[in-house]
Amino acid sequence: MMHSSSHSNARSSIFASIRENLAKSEPFNEEHQEAKSEPRTGVLFVETNTSEVFRESLEMVGAKCTFVENEIEAADRLRSIVGDRSATEIIVSDSELVHRIVNAAGINAIQDASRDELFSSAIGITSAQWAIAETGTLVLESGAERHRLASLVPPVHVCIVTTSSIRQSMAEILKLMDPDANRAITFVTGASRTSDIELTLAIGVHGPGELYVVVIKDQ
Amino acid sequence: MSTTHATSETFDRNARAALADPVLHGALRNLADSFVVRRRNAIASAGDWEDLRERARSIKDETLLHLDEYLERFTENAEKAGSTIHWARDGKEACEIVLGLVRAQNANMVVKAKSMAGEEIHLNEALEAAGIEPVETDLGEWIIQLAGETPSHIVVPAIHKTKQQIADLFVEKVGIEKTDNVDVLTQTARRILRQRFAEAQVGISGVNFGVAETGTILILENEGNIRLTTSLTKTHIAVMGIEKVIPKFADLDVFLKLLPRSGTGQRLTAYQSLITGVKNNADDIGPDELHIVMLDNGRSRMLAHPLTRQSLACIRCGACLNACPVYQQIGGHAYGSVYPGPIGAVITPQLFGLSKAKQLPYASSLCGACREVCPVKIDIPALLLHLRSEIAEGSTRESQPTRKLGESIAFRMYSRIWSRSGTYALSIRAARLAQRFVARNGKIGKVSGMLALLVPPLGAWTERRDAPVVAPKSFREMWREKKK
Amino acid sequence: MKVALFVTCLVDQLCPNVGMATVEVLERAGCDVTFDERQTCCGQPAFNTGYRKEARKFAERFIEIFETSDAEAIVIPSGSCTSMVKHFHEVFEGDAEWRERADRIAAKTHELSSFLVNVLDVDEVGAISNGKATWHDACHGLRDLGVHDEPRRLLNKVDGLEFVEMENADVCCGFGGTFSVKFPEISAGILDNKIEMIEKSGADTVVACDASCLMQIAGRLSRISSRVQVKHIAEILASQE
Repeated sequence: MMHSSSHSNARSSIFASIRENLAKSEPFNEEHQEAKSEPRTGVLFVETNTSEVFRESLEMVGAKCTFVENEIEAADRLRSIVGDRSATEIIVSDSELVHRIVNAAGINAIQDASRDELFSSAIGITSAQWAIAETGTLVLESGAERHRLASLVPPVHVCIVTTSSIRQSMAEILKLMDPDANRAITFVTGASRTSDIELTLAIGVHGPGELYVVVIKDQ
Repeated sequence: MSTTHATSETFDRNARAALADPVLHGALRNLADSFVVRRRNAIASAGDWEDLRERARSIKDETLLHLDEYLERFTENAEKAGSTIHWARDGKEACEIVLGLVRAQNANMVVKAKSMAGEEIHLNEALEAAGIEPVETDLGEWIIQLAGETPSHIVVPAIHKTKQQIADLFVEKVGIEKTDNVDVLTQTARRILRQRFAEAQVGISGVNFGVAETGTILILENEGNIRLTTSLTKTHIAVMGIEKVIPKFADLDVFLKLLPRSGTGQRLTAYQSLITGVKNNADDIGPDELHIVMLDNGRSRMLAHPLTRQSLACIRCGACLNACPVYQQIGGHAYGSVYPGPIGAVITPQLFGLSKAKQLPYASSLCGACREVCPVKIDIPALLLHLRSEIAEGSTRESQPTRKLGESIAFRMYSRIWSRSGTYALSIRAARLAQRFVARNGKIGKVSGMLALLVPPLGAWTERRDAPVVAPKSFREMWREKKK
Repeated sequence: MKVALFVTCLVDQLCPNVGMATVEVLERAGCDVTFDERQTCCGQPAFNTGYRKEARKFAERFIEIFETSDAEAIVIPSGSCTSMVKHFHEVFEGDAEWRERADRIAAKTHELSSFLVNVLDVDEVGAISNGKATWHDACHGLRDLGVHDEPRRLLNKVDGLEFVEMENADVCCGFGGTFSVKFPEISAGILDNKIEMIEKSGADTVVACDASCLMQIAGRLSRISSRVQVKHIAEILASQE
């Protein structure tokens, strides 16, 4: 619909300008040659256990992390986080793992919340498809779970992940991503924050102010 | 409140005004003390920092050398995923495209996530003129918008304001009670902007990286307003400079290591949104339309020279601003441009014309701190020197001559007289005679009156510091005596 | 080793004692020092202000003069002027012959402290001094030439001298050549921060290897009647008292 004549004019004149100016420029003989090897990354943690590294990284960014042995324990943990909140305040994604644990915990929650429910909710519970140990990052893939808003709008986000989804580095995660199947991939590292006023850290500006991560050990 | 903003043309006057502002001074010292230290600590956790910088630069170089090919690939893949691509030769065209898209949705309000490209093309003014209300949602940008000001920093737009000033602004504009609690101020922004998010049909953002291989756009942030802007709305419009493209998805790794560490001293910002076209199931969450507006606005011109091409490698981290002793003195507004600081001093004249910003390339002591911190190794001092020579030689591609007659005569005389030892020695003898009128106790104190008018550099120099005198005997004379 | 001295115009006219001290230090380190009286200025003021044609004149002259010398090295008591020599090739854009000549000269040109430590492998020159000294990293020496440890090693070996680091030793003093004339107020603002750090360090002497920075710093210290002295590193190294 936007393929008007002015559109194609602008496009072709920008490409013409790029080609013309590149042709004018001297041959490129600078020293920045493309490196063929993998990036040299230093040892960030003495710990080689990715779970332990993940926990340390989460603590560093102020997220509250609990490791549990199984889904039963995860349900216990969830119950203590949720406390005595009512069902209208808790929203969940469509993750089966989340549903099992929420049910086991005896929590009433809303899936497919309306806009109003979303904006008045107190807690959003989701899972994450992957996690990155060295930064404490949760990786949310839109193709796998409808968690784009439940992880963002409520003031508290509880995320349930399994140890088998943890990878050491961002580089490993990027290799696993399929952006065509997952049209929105979101990396979450800690709570929403800002330093816009006098560079003073303030938590929970637009996204959740609290992030709980419950890590279930895979058998 | 005044809505006329400082321009680059009056840099010297803007800078003097900034220097006289004690509040600004306090804020800037805060910036230097905190961001510089945070950055230093953060890069220690990045493994081999120099290796990363080298890689980032080589990725950028490769992309820029074949920019046409990578743009073709990026837009093809983005379209395949359902994005609509638009092309804008300049800011005016870009604004018109955005206006057309907003009008097509019958929206009279848009939520905006912080975008330097949006600032560059003065998108807010264009929207307002068309009767569409732009709502900035980044806390710093919102503060700036409430105050009717422009950002003074690439990463922290309201760095020049104190929390008292911000509190006063909130009392006046949104009717809260006076407070100096940053959390209360932040929660006020959350509360008010939540309502705007709930109403919004159209969201406008920038783009940090566009991946040619997949047609993905990546946007980094800490607050969550970009996520809200790009997932709650029905239509997402992203304004993207044509230099933002990178070849491969895996290349993101290097930039995600460099950008947060350089910008805010974080290992990673709180959120990265990697958006590839539109949702592939109708009942998924997210906008129905993604429009990417590809902006040239002077960028393609910069490809013509290997030096100026470097400026297109910039990833807008702001590290050079924080490290710059000049920026630390005067802040961002003095530069009169959306791009301040060292990188602004090289980009502004290139984007908007040398004759409009001919003081900026001189607004540097060439100390090189910017080059040292730049995550993509842009040789900013070399670029400043390049632009200075274009100005001094009277740039040919400008309508207005940039050359300064008095200065060019002075330098011609300097090179005539001083490049030969005979005339050099004569000029020293003359200086030795002349200084008798001003030297006291072996130094030159504050020079004022007629003499300062006659010899302006001397007047300016001695305003705050003493000037040395020519020694009674030069080194060459002493050497001659020693060798006798 | 036979060494050709480029003394710099500032040292020649404003602080000739620094030149004499440089000769003294080099001779003590076993060098045979020559000084060609035809030399004047490296042309940096023109280059840094954008006047490349004018700068080229100085570069050609510098190269011609030093090509006639049989010295193995050219030594300059200034990081900034040394860095200009390293930049000479830029004023000969598109002129391969001059570029090659410029590169040959640049390859044998050294800043004083780096020459002593890296070329002669000397960090002790028999200097005796007293008091407490701090070091200011002149920008071009530090960032263009990578001189950082060399002067510190030399100062630490001076008998009787206590060396202290100031905070932000590597931050610019605000001089910047024509920058300080075009924007004197900004320059002075940057200078104020430097002065604050110098005074905070508790040193009684601030040392650098650039007459230009020292002129800027001394100008302010003198105006505010500070007790802190300004010395070129050559003066400290030549000192025997």
